[in-house]
Amino acid sequence: MSDNSVKTSGKRKWSMAVDIDKCTGCQACVVACQSENNIPINTEDLFKQRRAIQWIRIERYWEGEFPNAKVRFIPLLCQHCDNAPCEPVCPVYATYHNQEGLNVQVYNRCIGSRLCVNNCPYHIRFFNFWEPSWTDSLKNQLNPDVTVRSRGIMEKCTFCIQRIRRTTRESDKNNQQLKDGDRRLNPACVNACPTDALVFGDLNYVDLDTGEKSKVAKLKEESLSKNGRGYKLMGELGTEPNVTYLKKVDADSGHSSHGGDSSHG
Amino acid sequence: MQEHVQLDQKEINKDLLDTIFHTPMWWYLAVTFFGVVFLIGASAFGYLLNQGLGVTGLNRPVFWGAYVVNFVFWIGISHAGIMISAILRLTQAEWRRPITRAAEVLTVFALTAALMAAPLVHTGRPWRAFLPTPWILPYDFARGIWPNIRSPFVWDPMAISTYLVASSLFIFIALLPDLAIIRDRSTGLRRVIYSFLCLGWRGTPRQWKLQIVAGILLSALVLPVFVSVHSIVSWDFAVQIGTEGWHSTIFAPYFIIGAIHSGVAAVATLMAVMVWVWKLHKYITPDHFDAIGRLLIVVGLTWFFFFFLEWVFALYTLEDPEIAMRKLQVFQWPWSGMFAVFLITSFIIPVTAWLFRAVRRSLLWMFITTILVNVGMWLERFLIIVPGLMRRTHLVFDWGSYQPSIIELLMVIATFAWLCLGMLVFSKIFPLVPLFDIKEAMINREKIKIGRKEIPASIRE
Amino acid sequence: MDRNVSDVVAIDRNVSDVAFKNVNNTLVEASNQTNLKWPLIIFAILSLLGFVGFSIKVFVEGVGSQQWGYHAALVAFLLSSIQSAPMVAIAPRVAKAHWRRSTSRIAEIFGLLGIVNLLLFIPLMWILPSLADGRRSLWFYDALEGVSPYSPHIWAILAIVVLAFLGVFYLWLSLLPDFAILRDHSKVGTVRKKIFKFLSGRWWGSSSNWYMHKHRLGIVGAHYFMLLVFVHFLYSMDFCMSLVPGWIDALFPITHAANALQAGVAVFIVTMYIIYRFGGYREYIGLDQFWALSRLLFALSLLWFWFWFSSFIILWYGGKPSERFVLELLMAGPYIYVFIPVFILNFAGPLLIMMWNAVRKSILGPTIVSIGVLIGTMLDRVRLYVGAYSVSTEPDKYALHSVPNTIWPQFSSDVLLWIGSISAVILLYLMVAKLIPLVNIAEQKELLLYKLHKEFHRTKVMVLGKPE
Repeated sequence: MSDNSVKTSGKRKWSMAVDIDKCTGCQACVVACQSENNIPINTEDLFKQRRAIQWIRIERYWEGEFPNAKVRFIPLLCQHCDNAPCEPVCPVYATYHNQEGLNVQVYNRCIGSRLCVNNCPYHIRFFNFWEPSWTDSLKNQLNPDVTVRSRGIMEKCTFCIQRIRRTTRESDKNNQQLKDGDRRLNPACVNACPTDALVFGDLNYVDLDTGEKSKVAKLKEESLSKNGRGYKLMGELGTEPNVTYLKKVDADSGHSSHGGDSSHG
Repeated sequence: MQEHVQLDQKEINKDLLDTIFHTPMWWYLAVTFFGVVFLIGASAFGYLLNQGLGVTGLNRPVFWGAYVVNFVFWIGISHAGIMISAILRLTQAEWRRPITRAAEVLTVFALTAALMAAPLVHTGRPWRAFLPTPWILPYDFARGIWPNIRSPFVWDPMAISTYLVASSLFIFIALLPDLAIIRDRSTGLRRVIYSFLCLGWRGTPRQWKLQIVAGILLSALVLPVFVSVHSIVSWDFAVQIGTEGWHSTIFAPYFIIGAIHSGVAAVATLMAVMVWVWKLHKYITPDHFDAIGRLLIVVGLTWFFFFFLEWVFALYTLEDPEIAMRKLQVFQWPWSGMFAVFLITSFIIPVTAWLFRAVRRSLLWMFITTILVNVGMWLERFLIIVPGLMRRTHLVFDWGSYQPSIIELLMVIATFAWLCLGMLVFSKIFPLVPLFDIKEAMINREKIKIGRKEIPASIRE
Repeated sequence: MDRNVSDVVAIDRNVSDVAFKNVNNTLVEASNQTNLKWPLIIFAILSLLGFVGFSIKVFVEGVGSQQWGYHAALVAFLLSSIQSAPMVAIAPRVAKAHWRRSTSRIAEIFGLLGIVNLLLFIPLMWILPSLADGRRSLWFYDALEGVSPYSPHIWAILAIVVLAFLGVFYLWLSLLPDFAILRDHSKVGTVRKKIFKFLSGRWWGSSSNWYMHKHRLGIVGAHYFMLLVFVHFLYSMDFCMSLVPGWIDALFPITHAANALQAGVAVFIVTMYIIYRFGGYREYIGLDQFWALSRLLFALSLLWFWFWFSSFIILWYGGKPSERFVLELLMAGPYIYVFIPVFILNFAGPLLIMMWNAVRKSILGPTIVSIGVLIGTMLDRVRLYVGAYSVSTEPDKYALHSVPNTIWPQFSSDVLLWIGSISAVILLYLMVAKLIPLVNIAEQKELLLYKLHKEFHRTKVMVLGKPE
């Protein structure tokens, strides 16, 4: 136990930073998430029914009229709120907060009352309206580390908890410190992002050799300081999300804004 | 103004027990009809169980739809019985006597309809929600996993099951003397069953005293439950911050008064049906309609004040999503049409009509206006739940809409058939009008002469 | 066959056998005999203290809004207590409850005292911030279109003035038959006779007189109730809630009004007790009035909790920062020492004391609970209004960003003003009580007509008429 505490830097708290200025809307994260987490195939039909499941989605907003239109992307995933509205309302404790700051979903307990999704201001929880199915050719690509969810239950982004678990277990076993930005630790979406718009890590991480903090902690600290670009999505609700967004910088105006920011005004 | 039909006890027995000892043809026809409608709904449920909630019109972001609307509607109707029985009993309103039992039975069947309408069919995995035990019970005892007491969906079953038990007891206690009368007039197996049901009622003074004390105690004890049930149902919505138009402190009283509005209206509808179907015109007179009409005016106006406040404070928030949702409700087809129908049928037409004595004293008009109220109140719940869930938030990417599927509609209709079926079967087994209450009213009735005028009076103490 | 053991509609048991003819004499004499010299002098002096307090407030402390929270609370308290007391006459009259007959007058007189509150309300017009500084409001305001930023002031003053005059009108209406009796009982040619002749209008007791009288009472009473609720709506909104950014509580006006009804019943019970104990009306006021009202008070105390809890759970469960700050301001933070007594006096105490039949069915029990409820309501108004006025300079109209400190009352102004105003109310009541009978003579006589004792099998029962 004491040995371990040398190698880790205290209690872990997972967090993510999303730099909207870097996001190109390429949807690589969406596809990566889809294949990592055994998300059912979203057919055209399912999109028409508005029942598609995308743990991370790129919301696209237009600003301005046609010739001068600007496109805005905002990757939206579970915010893993510290004060999550979805948690207290679940009658069966199917969703709760774990000790590492993650908002986790226990599929076996879920009865599908859908109270949690109604209370999620980010609409980032998904319900399995149908029994998921894969074509035979795709069945072998299912990730064995991730449960295949049946119909009638909620699911949502887990920050790829299977990857976090596997990597932390290995490093704890080998008595090594987890490296910040380890690709085995990062969620699939972060690894897939070509522009590094998504940054993932442990907020309490301190490198035992260099004494440096993790990248996400630094980003969060800098961006949320007085003149930083950072904000919390719908921060006025007090949900205390673990995802920090960084505003887009408009080259022409020098003034930054984007479509998903929902502060009043 | 009050008509005084003085009836002797034999006549009362004969009139009110008629349905139990003779079964007319229409009864079989009606039971078959409602039975078939109910079975169609049940098969729709079977299909839903087999296929999953995909067969409904629910989608992202409208995760709750017709089932929850129907659930709230039936919980609302269930407030009729206690309003009429307990509150009017405690305030000793004489006109309650012939309709108390019908109202209580309406309560119980409405509650069962509500249970059918939501928790059972609404959850994603009903088999997990109810097996091996309902979700409210600690189902994973060994691992120390308890239900989440912070969740409104745990408060709900507690309140509703208490209410169901309490109102069933309420009916049963009031039934005892009447069951004894049936026992005395029947033979064979029927006699055995009723002797068992009436718990050896002999009509001794001690038994009467206990029955009265139990009735009054239950009336008083059921009142907090009555208030808590719909408050808690409203908190299913109101505690949430994620949905527009729901997070309002007024929801609990607003839902209660709305429930009383629709419940008392349903009792008035039922009264008219009772007069037509079971020929109870000697017992349910225009005076009773007049009285319930006056009660309805007060309830309707109060409800409207709460409705007004709810709207005023929704606009007072000055929050874009809230105002966008309200605009959607009022200006965008088809919600605008529903909103207009809701407001006209649940308030404008009925409350204006009840101001006229002629309307209050007419069976047909009371029937029509009270049906309108409940059409409006169903739409009201629909307009609270669905447009709220259509998520007119800043995340416009996720705006959605909803249309109930045929499966949902069939199951909604089935709950109505269930209620009719329940009332018909109940009326076959038990008297729908409390015999002893009517007899007591006949005995208590008096007249006082003042000058040339005779004033109706009743005995006190 | 004693199912109707009167557990609900109570009929004077120890009273009432005053013979029909004697009612006039006893009541008219009673109203002439009361000797109130010393109380009148004492309360007149105390009322003057109110003027002193008010002057200190205006000339020494100035017109900054934070110092005026206690004044706003005083107006709210009087609105909640004395101006809702007439409901104790109006509601049972509409419900045709017989027990009210001997006591409805006691409640109606409070309608007249609304005038005191009207005077106290005037300075608030200068204190309430206009809409121009950007606070939220229900009312329309458009600087460009020329819509006045003072619309809350206009609406509130209209409603409060009409309410005060409606109260006076209701009192006068119910007094008509009694004024006629007093007129007939005064000596010809005296000033008294002339006054009563003027006040009784053209009342001579014809059946059309009575018909109109009953309808007028019903209509004016219903309007008084609706206006009362509306005034609570306006006052609680514009003079309290809208001063605190982020305080959005749709139930608040109703909580305010329901709490007012509770305080109205309480102030009525206390007054009734004083009249019963010292006023010499023991033949008319009895256990039944206390019993009927204690049930009402009990129900209203439970209602207090329900409304409070309905608001509380939504704000607490929602847990947005704006909601958390509001809860802290009103319940957990600077006014927690006020909130705890309020909770005990308005809900927990009445519940624990009045749940016992023996206490409900007594004279002293409801009176003691009522005194508690009155103190509780007073503290409640202080908590709400002083709390709200302490943040009125907050610039952000969306949320509270910090919880202000407790504001304590100034003895030289706030306390004196409170003592003076309440004394003025009592003084006015005593003066009115000297002029008019405290029991409604006409209604009392009507009761005797409707009541009949009768043999029923082996017992004696009372038969009670239910006209209409």
